[in-house]
Amino acid sequence: MAMSYNFRIIEDCTKCAFREHRLFCNLPNKALGRLQDIKATSVYPKGALLCLEGQAPRGIFVLCTGRAKLTTTSAEGKSIILRIAEPGEVLGLTAVFSNAPYEATIETLEPSQANFISMTDFVHFMKDYPDVGMKVAQQLTHNCRCAYGEIRSIGLSNSVPEKIAKLVLKWAEQPLPASTGRKPNEVAIRVTLTQEEIAQFVGTSRETVSRVLSDFRKKGWLRMKGVIWTILDKDSLEDMVTT
Amino acid sequence: MSGEAKNTNELYALLRAELRHELAQHEQLITLPEGSTLIEHSVLPDHLVILNSGTVRVSVPCPRRAVSVTTGQQGKVFGMRAAISGELPEIDVICVEPCNITMVPRDAFLDLLKNHPEIYFAVAKVLSADLQIADHILRSNSRRALPSLRIKVPKPV
Repeated sequence: MAMSYNFRIIEDCTKCAFREHRLFCNLPNKALGRLQDIKATSVYPKGALLCLEGQAPRGIFVLCTGRAKLTTTSAEGKSIILRIAEPGEVLGLTAVFSNAPYEATIETLEPSQANFISMTDFVHFMKDYPDVGMKVAQQLTHNCRCAYGEIRSIGLSNSVPEKIAKLVLKWAEQPLPASTGRKPNEVAIRVTLTQEEIAQFVGTSRETVSRVLSDFRKKGWLRMKGVIWTILDKDSLEDMVTT
Repeated sequence: MSGEAKNTNELYALLRAELRHELAQHEQLITLPEGSTLIEHSVLPDHLVILNSGTVRVSVPCPRRAVSVTTGQQGKVFGMRAAISGELPEIDVICVEPCNITMVPRDAFLDLLKNHPEIYFAVAKVLSADLQIADHILRSNSRRALPSLRIKVPKPV
């Protein structure tokens, strides 16, 4: 395995240690063997564009390592983040199945590995291996669930502070491991989104995000040091959130 | 179900004639009045619902207000995600005018899917269309808290 950007590049899907935990890649060995033959592995730096909104679909991407943001343009021409893709997700499925342009721009948020499979190869792959179809359905189901979750969030949140509190609490579901010097009730998270990106995520301005975070800090709810944020008072953040 | 509807329905359009024929044996064609509920959130539907004609409102209920989208897309299939995953739907689908629908029992569909996994192509297409509607709502609203969030989705090609 080659090393790059401080992570191991997974060259061989059949030997990937993560596949059992991944939604799409946990396939029977024969199917994995074919996947290995048809995929093209690439490693991208932070900020790399995998595809552009409006671009004709070329194929799908399996995000092996790293995270990526899916951005689209709102009715008012503003950039908004639809969601953050996590390792193991398949990206570009909707465009491939509807044979329509990619609906979002996919940009890596950190150094990432993605396996690209061309549209033709993917269609044959799915035809030859029924399990792949099931995995695709599961992935699309997951994506729908996330999208409706976001829509519910639109209907539930009245204020920007509430939306930001909700976002921070969502990130807290994947906390960093406990370390010395941190109190038991404190939760540390790694936030790689910039304030501008957080603004795109909640539909507000960067200035408002900055003001709200500053307010959280002054109240003693949050401590921010670079990309590491520590939630000091989770209860207060939870009290802000309606449901 | 009319031949015309069969050709335009997003599920059947990708199925072989034999599979369509097999599903047709289980179909129920119904006309529903305005205000009828086709899919109710948090209630597992026991049928796939194919909209042959008429207009429905798809809404995502929230305690404060519902985020809704109106669509009159002939051939739209509802209830696929619940059928495939067993997950409870997050949406309400309500007729805003008299609607002509075809109902396909979930169990009959799943039996067919088990024996003919190539149907997953059609399933993926239906789920992709669902996702496009959801993304369209997000795009149109930019996560802003508006007093009323009601938009109209253009009919897909």
